[in-house]
Amino acid sequence: MARRMVLALLTTTLLATTPGVQSASVVQPGTSPLVVFRIVFMTGAAFDPPGKEGLASLTAAMLAEGGSRSMTYQQIVDAMYPMATAVNWQVDKEMTVFTGTTHIENLDRYYGLLRDMVLDPGLRQEDFTRLRDDALNFLKISLRESNDEELGKEFLYDVIYAGHPYGHHNRGTIGSLQQLSLEDVRAFYRTHYTRASLVLGLGGGYPKGFEQNVERDFDKLPAGTLDKRRFDPPKLAAGNRMAIVTRDTRSTAISVGFPIDVTRASPDWAALAVATSYFGQHRSSNGYLYGRLREARGLNYGDYAYIEYFPRGMFQFTPDPNLARQQQIFQIWIRPVEVDTGVFTLRAALYEYDKLVRTGLSREAFDATRQFLMKYSNVLTQTQSARLGYALDSRYYGIGDYNTYLREALPKLTVEDVNRAIQRHLTTDRMQMVIVTKDPRPFQDAVAKNTPSPIVYNSPKAKEITDEDALIERYRINVKPAEVTVVPVERVFE
Amino acid sequence: MSVRRLLIVAAILLLAVAVFYRSWAAGAGATGKLFPYAYSIDDLPNGLRLVTVPTDYPNMVAMYTVVRAGSRDEVEPGKSGYAHLFEHLMFRGSENYTPEQRDALLKRAGADSNASTNQDRTTYYVVFSNEDLEDVVKAEADRFQRLKYTEPAYKTESLAVLGEYNKNSSAPTERLDEALYETAFTHHTYAHTTMGYLKDVQDMPNQYAYSLDFYKRFYRPEYVTVVLVGDVTRARALELTTKYFGGWARGNYVPNIPAEPPQTEARTAHVDWPSPTLPWLAVAFKAPAYSDEVKDKAALDLLSEIAFGRNSDLYRRLVLEQQKVDQLNVDFGNHPDPELFTAFARIKKQEDAEDVREQVLETFARFTREQVEQSKLDATRSRMRYGFALRMNSSPAIAAALAPYILLRRTPDTIDKLFALYQQITPQDIQMTAAKYFTDSHRTIVTLDSKTGTK
Repeated sequence: MARRMVLALLTTTLLATTPGVQSASVVQPGTSPLVVFRIVFMTGAAFDPPGKEGLASLTAAMLAEGGSRSMTYQQIVDAMYPMATAVNWQVDKEMTVFTGTTHIENLDRYYGLLRDMVLDPGLRQEDFTRLRDDALNFLKISLRESNDEELGKEFLYDVIYAGHPYGHHNRGTIGSLQQLSLEDVRAFYRTHYTRASLVLGLGGGYPKGFEQNVERDFDKLPAGTLDKRRFDPPKLAAGNRMAIVTRDTRSTAISVGFPIDVTRASPDWAALAVATSYFGQHRSSNGYLYGRLREARGLNYGDYAYIEYFPRGMFQFTPDPNLARQQQIFQIWIRPVEVDTGVFTLRAALYEYDKLVRTGLSREAFDATRQFLMKYSNVLTQTQSARLGYALDSRYYGIGDYNTYLREALPKLTVEDVNRAIQRHLTTDRMQMVIVTKDPRPFQDAVAKNTPSPIVYNSPKAKEITDEDALIERYRINVKPAEVTVVPVERVFE
Repeated sequence: MSVRRLLIVAAILLLAVAVFYRSWAAGAGATGKLFPYAYSIDDLPNGLRLVTVPTDYPNMVAMYTVVRAGSRDEVEPGKSGYAHLFEHLMFRGSENYTPEQRDALLKRAGADSNASTNQDRTTYYVVFSNEDLEDVVKAEADRFQRLKYTEPAYKTESLAVLGEYNKNSSAPTERLDEALYETAFTHHTYAHTTMGYLKDVQDMPNQYAYSLDFYKRFYRPEYVTVVLVGDVTRARALELTTKYFGGWARGNYVPNIPAEPPQTEARTAHVDWPSPTLPWLAVAFKAPAYSDEVKDKAALDLLSEIAFGRNSDLYRRLVLEQQKVDQLNVDFGNHPDPELFTAFARIKKQEDAEDVREQVLETFARFTREQVEQSKLDATRSRMRYGFALRMNSSPAIAAALAPYILLRRTPDTIDKLFALYQQITPQDIQMTAAKYFTDSHRTIVTLDSKTGTK
């Protein structure tokens, strides 16, 4: 390697670049008996050619869950089996990552398999047929018909980014997947799996010289050129909108969101992270919205807010790294509610959100949330794999080590900074609401006629709550009736 | 290189892998400790047990509090789901901490805190920086001994449990599980799921008094083990646990959990799912309880991987070659009472359902007749050992790996005993055990498919 420079964050994190070939690595050597790989290619679903949505994802699946040229997938599974290892994959809009962890005793054997899978994939027809079926069944059954909240969350992105390179689910659409061919996968692999788009992530107790061997192996990829396209914010017409996805379900799931011009690379990121953590820290009883909707009223199981894409949140407490994007949205996730409290709950969430925008955080709330985030970053980065993932994301955003970045940015913040960031980024007239429910009429009526949605509790409530309820039950859902669309679930991800 | 030559090279490579693992598995079995961390066990006079596991991971501490109360302990009719309800109520405040005060404390500590419930246990955890150790132990001790919630707060929280039922209810597998357990068990409390029946969950708001009884029964020191893992010493852990949990009075309740009579006939059930899904098949046999001494459970643990795991013949046929199934899973957990060994398959086309059923049944039958290959057994032992080692990649992960074993035997020692037992299992043991448990009269089959078909 011709040049090395310290990424300056974790003392152990180095960024190596090789002029001419442009591949890069983020390495975190250590003493653990485990070795962690995160092999990133700077490509993803936003690079799917038009009409071939799902190709980036299917290509990654073909590498990680298909055979290499020298071994069938079954042979790879057999070889991985005694080591209890696998190669996992994740495709987001701009990043594709292959991850794996092995015990140091199996390092050479595991790495040999991983290397051949990524550098010399088999791309066989039988793997293609199986994995395309998997993608189709994921969209048709697992997402559309088995998990209303993830359905709503993912459809929200489709709605916000309609007509944008981000505007389809990472796994593709049902129509496009049916059209894809193995030749499409081969072409995508040739174009996007290059040294220029590669960032090697390696952590743990690997031996001296191992890292250089890996780099040498991956230098065999074609040089390629890094596709540095910029993705603009989505072009949404002014006005709020509501999309009601109808399916036969016993409850109602709600997601609300809109694009923001803030990522970890932005000066306002830390301020907005404080505001969002205060309003709806993921899966925590500490969030403000959770307190009002679940703890005070028992409306559902939880209510959270986000400024970064966080898929699969119902299954995990911390986000997966390597979902870095140029464009993000602010999102409110209302977990499923009883059908007869659906409209009230949406109104309550909008009412509380409006209050956040109008009044911001108190100094006390700001201090507590800031202190929480200073320490909580240790929870986020508690495993080697997570530390490596965050370091790779830091490289993408051009910021320092995530924990250091927060520890430096947060103490400099004031409550005024946070409240200014709220004013700057969270005042929107382009709010998109996605409802997953059986009967759209109560929502349509609430929008068209402002029909009140009174709530009845099973226990007495404090006057403070009932007074507020009187406001919420008539709170105007600011959507024009013409901007309400009803989408039968079989049209979603079509 | 020709395809044929490639296959030969691959075959040689696989053989080398198999030979290597045979030697590794044998060597490590004789000498290596699977749970590599030094730990201490301290029993308080009131019956509470403390397990401390100092690790090299700096700053962070994981406090796991394991309560031996799960849906298994819900013995009264109409009262399913209360162990899980308690997982919620425990966040509703205690004598010295309102919910808001507790939240504020955890927020200051930058802590991650949550809980989970299954058939046999309720596990509470807090992950935090070690400088907050005393604050966290003190607050945790308060809610375990002096939980305090009003009837209105109770009623509101019971609605959050209904919300949890709602968010789960869109998955057909939840209903499949319900049907499977209520068909397979006629007497034992494993008949109901941990979430509980919908009608019982809907009735929870009316059961405030019962909830207080439930707390008095199970939230007692003899039911509880505190596990502290991370940047912590035994002395400090014991000092704080004694200080804050030492005054907790021992209880005297022992649930009378009905024994499940031997199943004498094959059972079936079917679930009509209201919306589109792929058909599901569950084939279950009554199977042995956890043991680190008797071979039955260990033998079937190994077989579960061999028969239904990712490199099983069945997986190769159904998922990779014939591509009739897109998910093939096996569930055979560690439980204090005999539970189920279940194979699940999600079938891609309804017309293949019968053939898939036959292939799954034949797989169970095959291992009652045939012995597994020694090489596959060795590879499976290796897989289980490495699989366990790979999980332990942080202090909370170590605590999470320990928690199920703490419930069963209250000591990490059982893990090494269990893995030593795996080393003793022979192909003959597996065949004999399969023949003992996989008989038609022990079997329950549940199917689920869509009334409207797959769209």
